[in-house]
Amino acid sequence: MSNIPFRSDQVVEELVQFNKNLSKGVKNLLDAEEISAGVTPREEIYAEDKLKLYRYQPSTGVVQNKIPTLIVYALVNRPYMADIQENRSTIRGLLDTGQDVYLIDWGYPDRADKYLTLDDYINGYLDRCVDIIRERHGVDRINILGICQGGVFSLCYTTLHQDKVKNLVTMVTPVDCKTPDNMLSHWVQQMDIDAIVDAMGNLPGEMLNWTFLNLKPFQLMGQKYVSMVDIISDEKNVKNFMRMEKWIFDSPDQAGEAFRQFIKDFYQQNKLVEGGLKIGEHEVDLKQLKTPVLNIFAEQDHLVPPASSKILPKLIGSKDYTELSFPGGHIGIYVSGKAQSTVTPAISDWLNARSK
Amino acid sequence: MSENNPWADQWFKAQQQFVDAWSDMAKSGGAGDGTSQSDLWSQGFDMWRRATEGRAQPDMELVMRKCMDMTKEYFSMAEQVSKSLSEGANPVEAVNQWLEQVKLSLQKFSGMPGFNGAGVADFMKQWFTPNASWQEMVAELTPMNQAFWQMPGMNTSVFNLGEAIDPLGRVLEAPGIGYFREPQEKQQRGIQLALEYQEANFKFNQAFLRVAIESIQGFQQRLLQLDEETTPKTMRALYDLWVEISEQHYAEFAMSEEYQSLYGDMVNRLMTMRKHYSEMADDFLRALNLPNTREIDTMQERLQQVRRDNYALKKEIREIRALLARPGAKPAALSATSPAQSKSTQRKPATVNKAAPKAVTPKAPAKKTAAGKTVARKTAARKAKVTRSTAGA
Repeated sequence: MSNIPFRSDQVVEELVQFNKNLSKGVKNLLDAEEISAGVTPREEIYAEDKLKLYRYQPSTGVVQNKIPTLIVYALVNRPYMADIQENRSTIRGLLDTGQDVYLIDWGYPDRADKYLTLDDYINGYLDRCVDIIRERHGVDRINILGICQGGVFSLCYTTLHQDKVKNLVTMVTPVDCKTPDNMLSHWVQQMDIDAIVDAMGNLPGEMLNWTFLNLKPFQLMGQKYVSMVDIISDEKNVKNFMRMEKWIFDSPDQAGEAFRQFIKDFYQQNKLVEGGLKIGEHEVDLKQLKTPVLNIFAEQDHLVPPASSKILPKLIGSKDYTELSFPGGHIGIYVSGKAQSTVTPAISDWLNARSK
Repeated sequence: MSENNPWADQWFKAQQQFVDAWSDMAKSGGAGDGTSQSDLWSQGFDMWRRATEGRAQPDMELVMRKCMDMTKEYFSMAEQVSKSLSEGANPVEAVNQWLEQVKLSLQKFSGMPGFNGAGVADFMKQWFTPNASWQEMVAELTPMNQAFWQMPGMNTSVFNLGEAIDPLGRVLEAPGIGYFREPQEKQQRGIQLALEYQEANFKFNQAFLRVAIESIQGFQQRLLQLDEETTPKTMRALYDLWVEISEQHYAEFAMSEEYQSLYGDMVNRLMTMRKHYSEMADDFLRALNLPNTREIDTMQERLQQVRRDNYALKKEIREIRALLARPGAKPAALSATSPAQSKSTQRKPATVNKAAPKAVTPKAPAKKTAAGKTVARKTAARKAKVTRSTAGA
């Protein structure tokens, strides 16, 4: 064993200092106001059941892309991750680089939504939102940006409705759900999904939270709160920490039938890769996908390992495929400073070049 | 500050007590009155928390609680190392002694009935966070309260299904007779399923315990391999190293076939049990002539199908209207809707309404025609203004 240079008095001094930092931070925690979700001004333009379609206020003084972009977020967690704070907002970045941004907020499903299927989400809700945007802008096709599970939805949708999608951007999207490094996938292989849905109706958000946190329990449930003490003497840091904390635990329940099909078809049977995927009556064959695709993944993504996304060009028929690798994690790709300066401009450049 | 913030007085008083105690311990070479410093800190914090309850936003309260829990675990780790240092051990020995103690205490729990992480050193509790948080979640999601698990033969000391069933044997094996035969069998089955879940949960916990012990050995091995550059220079760096190594061991375990099997079994048994009790609750509600889950499910499923059909029909009506509104296209559009000319009828929706449910819209022909594509584009551009839809429309 190497020479660990500890002395008892040093350890004590270190802890006393830690405790002083904690003392300062506690006041900020006590005084902090309720954290708001989402920061960029937006307008609700359509609502259906629990879904809301928002249009973000376009930036002035920039050349506008005439083709609007619809962000399709996952059913898991909430979409304000893409707009978490003023200086860490993917949506703000897209607006400032000339995109006209729409976003689907799926809402919080409850028991009345138990029988919503993937067909209802993709060929129902999503398709109607796309039609509304096309109508508003008088265009045949729009751009779609799918995030995580929303990227899977977007891939399926675009394959089935290529006449409505001009360009497709997928971000941290699981395509091959059975790569050897995919812990989530590994965990669900022996789960009886039918038993879960039959017993629970909808999948409770608490179960999803448990699952995500336990992918890295020591960091996400332990170290994070010790490290927090280093930064909470600054009020701004408290707010930023709490925004992220709010998002992490803001997990809607999952509509039972949609969850059943998603886990069985994608995570257990890997049908996007193996074939045989059907959304409603329609078979999804990615080889038929000819739309230009920008595929973005995060190199340190513990939820969607890069290999899971990188297989996409081998599966699709599109000849216009671009890949962007981000040196960060599943969340950092939206909230890190580096993402604001690299990922968002790259998306806009790619869309602008293909939206004329 | 204290005039405006009485809570702050409480906090600083508690913290001063903590600082003094630590300082005394350092000065006295580890000797103290036997009170754990991290406990002292925790007690002070709890006292203060009670005084400030409701003052912060609920989210903040929760975060503070988590922060304090983790801080206590971190302090506990520091305290034990610091104590060994104060007693004259060199840093290497101090860390090693501490790890050996932890390992021994964990081994003591191995095979212990109902072990759930309670009683282990504070800082090692993180190893049992998955189990503890699982229990909390299960308590929230299942109708069984604590009293259920404390029924005779059903308490947390259950670890072997055979042994557990034994005291309940007579109850579980008693044949159902007479009018109440069916409910009795369902009750018996419910208890059996609960015991099976308990056993699966116990096996899951035991596996965690084993891997936690292995992680300590891994930590000791890693310490042997550290060089000047990678050696932790502070207590915090030592804690971070412990987190890193624990996470690595956990990840290996979580990616193993063993974990997949144990976790899958635990989830499946929980769900089987929960479903069984839901069905029993349904029976009870039916007996009272109250709506139950099965009936509501049936209604919801039917309603959802009606809504799908409704959307598809509305879409088709919009498309037909758009066609009718085209100058010069009216006769063709009208004739297209005529049953006598079924060819046109089939071509139109195929290109316009690619994703409409099969039951409503005829299936697409194998190839799109150029004319069909034109119809699709024009139809999209001419669609009637979208109005807000209502649920169940």
